[in-house]
Amino acid sequence: MNPAASASASATATAAAGNASADGSVVDAPPDGAVLDTPPGAGPDADAVATPSRWRAAGMATLRWAAALAGALVIFGLFLFARGASPVDAYLAMLDSAFGDSRAIGDTLLRATPLLLAALAVAVPARAGMFNIGGEGQLVLGAVGAMAMSFALDGAIAGPPAFVLLALAGMVAGACWALIPAILKVVLRTNEAIVSLLLNYVAVIVLTWLVFEPWKDPKSTGQAYSKALPSDERLPILWANRVHVGIILAIVAAFVIWAAFRSTRWGFKLQVLGGNPEAARRAGLRVGALAVGAMAVGGALAGLGGMLEVSGVEGRLRPGIMVGFGYIGFLASWLAKHHPLKAIVSAFVLAAIAIGGNGLKIEAGVSGAAVNVLMALVLLAVLGFARPNTKATS
Amino acid sequence: MKPTRLALAAGMSVLALGAAACSSSSETSTGGTTGGSGDESDLTIGFLYVGPKDDYGYNQAAYEGSQAVQAAFPNAKILQAENVPETAEAETVMEDMIEQGADIIFPTSYGHLEFAQNVAKDHPDTIFVHQGGLEGEDKLDNLGTYFGTVYEPVYTAGVAAGEATESNKLGYVYAFPIPQTLANINAFALGAQSVNPDAEVIAVSTGSWCDPGLQAQAAKSLIDQGADVLTQHQDCTKTIIEAAEAAGAMSVGYHFDASDLAPNGWITGSEWNWGPLYTDIVQTVVDGKFVDSPYNGDFRVGLQTGDNPFVQSSYGSMVSAETQAKIDEIKQSFIDGGSPFAGPVLKQDGTIVWESGQQPTYEEVETMDFFVEGVTGKID
Repeated sequence: MNPAASASASATATAAAGNASADGSVVDAPPDGAVLDTPPGAGPDADAVATPSRWRAAGMATLRWAAALAGALVIFGLFLFARGASPVDAYLAMLDSAFGDSRAIGDTLLRATPLLLAALAVAVPARAGMFNIGGEGQLVLGAVGAMAMSFALDGAIAGPPAFVLLALAGMVAGACWALIPAILKVVLRTNEAIVSLLLNYVAVIVLTWLVFEPWKDPKSTGQAYSKALPSDERLPILWANRVHVGIILAIVAAFVIWAAFRSTRWGFKLQVLGGNPEAARRAGLRVGALAVGAMAVGGALAGLGGMLEVSGVEGRLRPGIMVGFGYIGFLASWLAKHHPLKAIVSAFVLAAIAIGGNGLKIEAGVSGAAVNVLMALVLLAVLGFARPNTKATS
Repeated sequence: MKPTRLALAAGMSVLALGAAACSSSSETSTGGTTGGSGDESDLTIGFLYVGPKDDYGYNQAAYEGSQAVQAAFPNAKILQAENVPETAEAETVMEDMIEQGADIIFPTSYGHLEFAQNVAKDHPDTIFVHQGGLEGEDKLDNLGTYFGTVYEPVYTAGVAAGEATESNKLGYVYAFPIPQTLANINAFALGAQSVNPDAEVIAVSTGSWCDPGLQAQAAKSLIDQGADVLTQHQDCTKTIIEAAEAAGAMSVGYHFDASDLAPNGWITGSEWNWGPLYTDIVQTVVDGKFVDSPYNGDFRVGLQTGDNPFVQSSYGSMVSAETQAKIDEIKQSFIDGGSPFAGPVLKQDGTIVWESGQQPTYEEVETMDFFVEGVTGKID
């Protein structure tokens, strides 16, 4: 079996398992008010014990997910066909680009890194009932923060301590960017979804200004980019031709967030807040601080993603880095219903689709941007099919 | 729950917008053809474009060059990748092409150079020829750059524009004040002034090589200032030419012959004729003579030194036979060693750069950092 198919198969399996646990009293889907029904003390997945009826439900859900994905692939195949390309060749070319050899798999892992961190940046606030659409801007600010730290260090520190400082700077910058919509929400009651979304554009303008004006590489003739990070501030390559430590950090981050959701007071408080803010307030939770904190954690995760991208992949700031990564991460979180572990799978699948887009360009002659259509179809199909299930059980 | 839908709708629409902005209509590229004979039957050549290959501009010109290569090497397999950003993504695309067997890769955008160099170091058996860059300190046996002398036909296009204008105001939309762009704007102004001393060039920067929104604004502002001829140094040229045509102004094209976009206002333009140069590069590689050939370095060619791949476009009906003859004469003078920047050349503030009888070398022009007298605009 080809790797992509097995990846999406495992995606459906994991997602289906999530649906099954949602059958019980635990809701890890987007906060829909259903959390009110959660008995106090029942943490997420607390009663995820398999029973025969659960298995049947899981089987049904898997079927539904498989059908949804197949539907998306068929519709996209028709789209490709209408563009004059052979769908079979196009899918084979995509598979080859995303998984053809160790380099291709490495590129997919490399792309999954910022996508996963951007997805987690959505998942954490979502648990508290907030919508962070600002992952794109927080990624950019993370890259900017890391670069600023590199300028501040000026080569004085190298190696692992420098990586830690760069990462911290990126996380702080990403968190600060996410704090803007969070604080505005708490103080002025603005909508954090809109504010965080619009701040993405501001972030890109900040980046563009930096690389055109103060940070422009003096050695560049015309092309706008910052000076390169010193080679000892570049993350070492661990595997294939470019894979760095980032993917491991991102997966560890997903597990840490998952564990925190599951078994910390903080995770529980976020869930209560996400379920019913009024109830949370009456229960004596510090609602504003919790909400702001959730956004800050999300922003820090995305900021880490930005740092990893600049230190691990790009090596310098450029106007076009990470374009769209934040939005694809947003889709990844929704595909995973904001579940940190499932986000690993969804980020990986979306990364494979994005990298597969190169094969689509080169071999099938279809514009690589066409993969955005496929991503949207996958999301629509999965959400569309998943909805009756959540409705029925909530 | 409403915020859910709102958030989702917002996210989706942003993605959709992104997709719409990035995607472009693209024909199916022809892969390898079978049959026939020739040594190059297993030759694979990859082309990367920063934008869509139907942009009436830089990328389309390069794409047409790739089609000329296909015609010259019918058995070669040509790999095409459009919309390749100037980020590490370009490395992924080039690696992918090598995976498909690419022997030669043409990264055609200025910002692809660094990534081409990175990939070239890992793949010594693949030849990389980069369009427009300069090798720098890293001299590799499998990488070189090439470019034409863009300001020569821009000067003669300026001659045609100087004759055609009635308001004596020529609008110039550019991206960044890099030497190549400044040389173009100055050459255009000097060309126009050579036949029309009152001609003034108004230069407006968009800060982008292809941003149709900003291009439309820039075009409108120039027309509002009285310009009746618009030209540009942009990668995608369609928007400005269409805006000029719609406003009844005239157009001078760049990179590509877009005369069909401006049936009334097309004067002329300058455009890439990459086919012969691309084909010669590929032939050099096929012959095994790439190393130490001029292409394994920073290859620059202009009328003074050979066949400039940057040539004059077709003329519109308002360009008289006398003007065309004059342009041919000027072109011949460049072939004979002349320069658009033959002195006297004065800066905006009136200081003399090149005295009468002096002229810069190609290398000196590549460091140009000023506007000449008669150009309105500021370099900052």
